Amino acid sequence: MRPILLSGHERALTQVKYNREGDLLFSTAKDQHICAWFAHNGERLGTYQGHQGAIWTVDVDPTSTIIASGSADNTIRLWEVKTGKLLKTWDFPTAVKRVEFNEDGTKLLGVTEKRMGHLGTIVVLDIKVDPEAEQSDEKVLTIVCEESKATVAGWSYLSKYIIAGHEDGSVSQYDGKTGDLIYNVNVHELGSPITDLQWNQDRTYFITASKDKTAKLITAKELEVLKTYAADTPLNSAAITPKKEYVILGGGQAAMDVTTTSARQGKFEARFYHKIFEEEIGRVRGHFGPLNTVAADPTGKGYASGGEDGYVRVHQFDKGYFDFNYEVERERLNRLAAQSGK
Amino acid sequence: MEASKTGDCLFSLHLKNCTKATTTLRSPLQKPQLAEVRGGDFLSNFQPHTFEYPKNLVKRTFLSFHTPPLVNRPPPRKQRVQPAKPTWDDQLFLEFIKLPISLFQQIAKSVKMAAQAKHDWADDDDLDELTTADLPPPQKIQNKDGSTTIIEYRYNDQNQKVKTTRRIRYITHREVVNPRVAERKAWAKFGQSAKDGAGPAPDTTSVGENIIFRPSINWKKDAKDESKDPNAQAMKDKLKDKKVKCRICNGEHFTARCPYKDTMAPIGEAAGADVAAGMGDDAGAGGAGPGGAGAPGAGKKGSYVPPALRGAGGAAGAGAGERMGGKYGERDDLATLRVTNVSEMAEENELRDMFERFGRVTRVFLAKDRDTGLAKGFAFISFADRGDAVKACAKMDGFGFRHLILRVEFAKKAA
Repeated sequence: MRPILLSGHERALTQVKYNREGDLLFSTAKDQHICAWFAHNGERLGTYQGHQGAIWTVDVDPTSTIIASGSADNTIRLWEVKTGKLLKTWDFPTAVKRVEFNEDGTKLLGVTEKRMGHLGTIVVLDIKVDPEAEQSDEKVLTIVCEESKATVAGWSYLSKYIIAGHEDGSVSQYDGKTGDLIYNVNVHELGSPITDLQWNQDRTYFITASKDKTAKLITAKELEVLKTYAADTPLNSAAITPKKEYVILGGGQAAMDVTTTSARQGKFEARFYHKIFEEEIGRVRGHFGPLNTVAADPTGKGYASGGEDGYVRVHQFDKGYFDFNYEVERERLNRLAAQSGK
Repeated sequence: MEASKTGDCLFSLHLKNCTKATTTLRSPLQKPQLAEVRGGDFLSNFQPHTFEYPKNLVKRTFLSFHTPPLVNRPPPRKQRVQPAKPTWDDQLFLEFIKLPISLFQQIAKSVKMAAQAKHDWADDDDLDELTTADLPPPQKIQNKDGSTTIIEYRYNDQNQKVKTTRRIRYITHREVVNPRVAERKAWAKFGQSAKDGAGPAPDTTSVGENIIFRPSINWKKDAKDESKDPNAQAMKDKLKDKKVKCRICNGEHFTARCPYKDTMAPIGEAAGADVAAGMGDDAGAGGAGPGGAGAPGAGKKGSYVPPALRGAGGAAGAGAGERMGGKYGERDDLATLRVTNVSEMAEENELRDMFERFGRVTRVFLAKDRDTGLAKGFAFISFADRGDAVKACAKMDGFGFRHLILRVEFAKKAA
């Protein structure tokens, strides 16, 4: 495969995100604009200008009408996808590290940083998926994380739960409506922050990446750890691929140590693991800095990764990717084919 | 021209009208050289110097985007009608995506040189002729394998005529897309991209080098290191409980330190050879072991065995040391079938399916043409078990597959 290199940012990437159909790709970096790209050829649709600080996060609603972004300028902003117009700004006391729309795009959660005497919070905003509509100022819900600040969060299926990953390596489950804490489970090594949380397509389970060099597949309902993927480097991001049963992990030597390590030792590669067998099945090299974020194309045809090196690399998988099967998988497919043949 | 620049060619003679002339060429090192130049052949004599790979061609060599793979997509029910007027998308398609397959070739040739830096007034006529001469019209040749060869001529910056030969294949790739996606493709650009034209802008989008990504079960990045390590470990283990043994008196000291060094000869020639093989006293047994396997090199990996000893140690195994490369030697050829008369359209998967009926297939190799991607007509199938291979060979020989009758036999070792 020949990756497409997107160099729309001058600084380290913080998040890349596909829209629902997988045709648009949004990227944010520590410089002050969001880029929208056509995923199939890497053409840039436009940039969203207005933030005054590093942008940490972006999310797009399911209809690809609006995007929300969270930034170190202590705001969440809402933009119209098509024109790049700023629709709404919400101010917070601290930086916003993560935003995510729920499944139907009517609610948006934001994770705010713990700083300057403010505790980390998870806020929920009501959203009208219409660029013309007046958005409400009010926060529907504010969850204060007293023990350990949340680093990432997301909506489960049917917006039933809010799942948050914390700095101490634990994952907690909050009620999606009331914001009550239901569970808090230590899944990762104590003290190693959770760096990413991404859902599978129906949002019944998710994958977390952590600095403790592992990624875990966890159910949304019981917070049961289904699978553990062990890597040899701190992980910054993890994604679940549709169509094929793989997960993609991205990480690498921490940015501050990069200069003291060579590119080979830095382990700046996207790692592919089999979702079920937990075995590493391949790596894709290319970045010359740690991978800060990976995203799987919802159509299953490719993936994108954003690195500390300021590049987004968009990959379209080859045939070999789709053809690869474990012996047992192949036998099962053969059996199914034989049954349907009868 | 290059010669005239760097070599500082001093022409005082008018070369056109003389048949033979001697000129002094000054090389960059300022060493005077004598060169004999025939007047009439002047241009051809200097062509090797003037050859220059046009810089701007390099840019055009790698304009290939990858189209999304065609697999895992249901056959399109409704095909999008190709618009008569090319949209930006189609233009892009024409420029980039129409895969110049792996055989994208570009040969640039500077046909003739012109515009010398220090040209003689007498050459002026020639120069005018060259710059005003019409370029030959571009040619398009349809090749047999479906690709097209395009030959174009142009002048480069140095006013040299450049011939560009490209061999490309057009693959029309149709796709049914969501109407919303189609609508989004027509959106106007905004923000920093507002001024960009249609198609990917070169300052933000580029294509990386090709990456081969093939998931596999036994993928291990440090597989190489690991394969070395066990050997080193094994050697260490072997040597761990080994005591120093004198070759002369069998005492526990180095031979060089032996008190009988000057008075006694080593115990026997065989023992001496064994030690030379680096295996100590169990080399006699060790030498026979790998010798029987027919690959002494593989048996004692990591230690060099001279050819002479290889013959002695592996005398039992026929043709010891003839096979090179342990990598392929390890493959079990006993359970490999060679299938010939395979249809051009065959796929590895089909062959796998056909042969998996007889037992576990460990490897399917279907030889394909590099250019066309069509099968070359033969394949190798490796079974885990030789019994299965025998069965498959018996059953599949003469099997009708895609209008052709397969011929299946056991693969012979490469000579």
